[in-house]
Amino acid sequence: MDATKLGFDTINLGHGSGGTMTRDLLDKIIFKTFNNPYLNQKHDGSIVKFDRPFAISTDSFVVSPIFFKGGNIGELAVNGTVNDVAMCGAIPKYLSLAFIVEEGLEINDFIRIVNSVKRAADTSGVIIITGDTKVVERGKGDKIFINTTGFGEVHPNANISANNIKVGDKIIVSGFIAQHGMAIMSQREGLEFESTIVSDTTNVNFLVSDLLDKFGSKIHLFRDPTRGGLASVLSEIATDIEKGVAIVENHIPLEKQVAAACEILGLDPMYVANEGVFIAIVAAEVADAVVETMRNHEKGENAVCIGEVTEEHPLKVVMKSLIGGKRIVSPLIGEQLPRIC
Amino acid sequence: MRKTYKILISGQVQGVGFRPFVHSLAQEFLLTGTVSNNEEGVIIFVSGLEESVFKFYKKLIQFPPPVSRIKDHEISLIEDMVYDGFKINPSKKGGQLNLSLTPDFAICDICTIEISDPENRRYGYPFTTCVNCGPRWAITNTFPFERNHTSIDEFEMCEACLNEYTDPEDRRFHSQTNTCATCGIDLFLYDQSGEKVVVPKATLFKKIASLLLEGYIIAIKNTSGYLLCCNAENEEVVQQLRDKKNRPNKPFAILYPSLGHLKDELQVNALQEKSLTSAERPINIISLKGYKGKIALQKVAPGLNQLGVMLPYSGILQLLANELAIPIVATSGNIHGSPIISENGEALEKLKEVADYFLQHRLKISHPQDDSVVKFSTRQNKEVLFRRSRGYAPNYFNATLNSGEKIMALGAHLKSSIAYNPNEFLYISQYLGNLDNFDVYHRFTTTAIKFIDLFEQKPELILYDKHPLYQSTQYGMELAKQLGVKSYQIQHHKAHFASVLGEHELFDCANPVLGVVWDGTGYGDDGHIWGGEFFDFRSKKIERIPHFEYFDWLAGDKMAKEPRLSLLSLAGPQMQSTVSEKFSKEEWTIYQALQKHNKLKTSSVGRLFDAVASLLNICDINTYEGEAAILLENLVINYSLKDCKSYLNDIEDVISPKEIIHKISLDKESGESIEQIIINFLYTLALSIMAMAKSRNYRHIALSGGVFQNTTLVDMLIELVPKEIKLYFHKELSPNDENISFGQIMYYLHLKN
Ligand SMILES: [Fe+3]
Ligand SMILES: [Mg+2]
Ligand SMILES: [Zn+2]
Ligand SMILES: [Zn+2]
Repeated sequence: MDATKLGFDTINLGHGSGGTMTRDLLDKIIFKTFNNPYLNQKHDGSIVKFDRPFAISTDSFVVSPIFFKGGNIGELAVNGTVNDVAMCGAIPKYLSLAFIVEEGLEINDFIRIVNSVKRAADTSGVIIITGDTKVVERGKGDKIFINTTGFGEVHPNANISANNIKVGDKIIVSGFIAQHGMAIMSQREGLEFESTIVSDTTNVNFLVSDLLDKFGSKIHLFRDPTRGGLASVLSEIATDIEKGVAIVENHIPLEKQVAAACEILGLDPMYVANEGVFIAIVAAEVADAVVETMRNHEKGENAVCIGEVTEEHPLKVVMKSLIGGKRIVSPLIGEQLPRIC
Repeated sequence: MRKTYKILISGQVQGVGFRPFVHSLAQEFLLTGTVSNNEEGVIIFVSGLEESVFKFYKKLIQFPPPVSRIKDHEISLIEDMVYDGFKINPSKKGGQLNLSLTPDFAICDICTIEISDPENRRYGYPFTTCVNCGPRWAITNTFPFERNHTSIDEFEMCEACLNEYTDPEDRRFHSQTNTCATCGIDLFLYDQSGEKVVVPKATLFKKIASLLLEGYIIAIKNTSGYLLCCNAENEEVVQQLRDKKNRPNKPFAILYPSLGHLKDELQVNALQEKSLTSAERPINIISLKGYKGKIALQKVAPGLNQLGVMLPYSGILQLLANELAIPIVATSGNIHGSPIISENGEALEKLKEVADYFLQHRLKISHPQDDSVVKFSTRQNKEVLFRRSRGYAPNYFNATLNSGEKIMALGAHLKSSIAYNPNEFLYISQYLGNLDNFDVYHRFTTTAIKFIDLFEQKPELILYDKHPLYQSTQYGMELAKQLGVKSYQIQHHKAHFASVLGEHELFDCANPVLGVVWDGTGYGDDGHIWGGEFFDFRSKKIERIPHFEYFDWLAGDKMAKEPRLSLLSLAGPQMQSTVSEKFSKEEWTIYQALQKHNKLKTSSVGRLFDAVASLLNICDINTYEGEAAILLENLVINYSLKDCKSYLNDIEDVISPKEIIHKISLDKESGESIEQIIINFLYTLALSIMAMAKSRNYRHIALSGGVFQNTTLVDMLIELVPKEIKLYFHKELSPNDENISFGQIMYYLHLKN
């Protein structure tokens, strides 16, 4: 698509009016890009059919900057929701897509984002079936916000529920943590690290369905440690199941350059946001095989078992630290504040 | 004429030989009657000549047993009664108990002589105690202090011990911890693999002494927890201990075999001597000036001109000392940051990589405690408590308690302690440590539960800090929910201020009090990190008044660990090239960028100390908590106030740490000596307090916060203060965060409205 043929450089309030300008924008960009029978009906909504129970998940994406190393808000909006649906043990099929655009967004940027949405949707095998575009006055938004809702059919073998977790279950992380959060943050704050940190936003739904094919109900829980990082997700789980979670610091997959960046900033990577990474809590007897399966998959090359569910220290996540001794990993509450005197 | 009186005495009067003492005193004055412990303390009924009774009463109050502490006493005439002699009646446990708990007492002189005397039946017996000495709080399982409420109960007294226990003439009459070699506790030596090393009892301590001399590390289970010991004169083994404990530079404490030996090597003044030989027997931090011994100082206390020393405080350490010709390192038995270990299995498991041998016994320790630490300031001999633990915990006497509520306060995070007010007394736990460590957290929560069980009283209110990320805050919320009781949070520095006000019972003070609360970090009411605060107290209210000007808090907890970051935050534009040398190119660009968007501010004086230490190239990165500030103070040998100059032009309502740093950098460039710069810096701080007090007409200044562990600053303040102004420092508590739990209770009781 070529912006010059559109006859405008930026998105303005008129594009959200609902009139011909809106129609123009949708026709020339949205419908042209996504071009599928559901959207082509140009109806108020879409009718779809499910054969099995289905999972729904919604998420709004407000990331800044909207373009970052390793991706942009468009693919994030698809992968984030696709992965959330997958975390329910479902196979994502359909996606809704809603934009809230701040007046003044360059049309080229909009097109780039829409194209990323398309690419990410194709990669993860979902169809955009309905959508919405609104434009808000300058200053009332931050370039562009995206909301997506995903629909997926629950995998026939899946039985995902925190209630299934037992003492002795193993906790597996699918890949390097903290990469996405550090990539976003370093770009937003203009922090120039010697090595570039790239976001690993990606869809993990095929890996998840492979795991369900193979291990079915032996997989007790999937979780997506996005905001609040690994620490917050593990803490939530410990609280939910009223058991302890014991992890080992030097098992946690962390790339050297990300670790170094966290060190410089005094950030604990356990609290940094992730994308394209998930945790699986699985029955102990399949843990090794789950790791093996993940490692054979492109999206889980760096999978590793980081710990287990324990009877000790109920409600608490405790990490055996590198230098010996154990430390408590609390959930993130607000920001990371200093405590040391 | 014969009359009968009732005497009530409260305070630290149980487990200190009070009843036997009363018994023998009554006999001296030919009085009959009874003495017993009750819910309130000691209750005495005496019958005899009125004159004798009053002489008895006077002597009782004036010269009570050495380790007792009388809080209240009263005498009243009652209906005449006839008694058959004078009897000690067993304690009755009634409803609500209003008693103090007894701290651990160091072995007394008489017991020391006994265990060293081949003729005595307790020769060589390491658990020798009497009514005046021995462990108390360490082995207390239930309340009040009676043999069957302690871990000693497992060891049944033999006939000889029982005779002592029941003989009113004996020093061990009613001594609850009485045992001997026949009936008591055995010591066993194990090697690293847990294999028993067979040594004849008579030569056990000789063997240990020779192992120490040969350069082995030995874990010794004392009566308050494990100690790790090694030859302090052997550089290699001290370094080994550092490596194994993962403790690169933090100074170790030294146990001297005797006061004589200590005095041969170090100058000890009368106050230090008194403290070192007291029943509390803390570690004393003493200047190394004129040191004459052979300790491997660079390994024991790297870079310091002071040394933490102590004397044997238990039978075990005394018997070892009797065989020792060298001072030894004696440090808490733990791995960096974990709590002191007190269980045999745990010791073998966790210390097997550290110790070559283990000296163990079967006495269960219910309340493990580290050694307490004090320091006397060089010039004014002001005693500053650095760590309140063995010998001091858990009693606290100097506080006005006016609550009907049972309150538990959970303190801070890094130097945690718990305060509990379940009856008319206040109890403050020993120092518990950094709550990030799970084992410390576990001990912290267990201590809270033990307090509740011990007093058989559930708290009706839980107090904690305002910092959302303190583990004590999070536990406080959990506990309040669990117990279904109210909770209340208190800002950190306000708790510090209430703490020092409480120690001096100043809440009814007619004049306004200036509060000076300086420390490293605390979560402020405005969401910033406070630490250079002034408060006004008047009409039962406190208010924050001017504070140190805010500067950027960078990089989370890392800033507290790296003094160079405080310098970076405070350095003016003309200092950039000097400061940038302390960072890699990458770090430098990152931190420059970080400063542009930084939102978190601080007024921390602790960080100002860090910045000065970094600027003067004393310390850029701490290897232990407070290192920069300790090394900084360490460089001051002596000062003369008249040669001091201030780094602030005039102190109005705002004190600018940036100005201080700027002036120091100018002084440094002009070639001023490092020592004089540090002196001037401390002088500037002291002066700023005086200026604040004078300009606002305060006659009382109360000071709290970790910064007042700097004894040079304390000396300067005492020397600078005009006669009409009175300074109040902490007395029985440490100025650091250990006092927060107490301060929270004081704040709640006296200031919350
Ligand atoms: Fe503090
Ligand atoms: Mg979501
Ligand atoms: Zn004694
Ligand atoms: Zn005996």
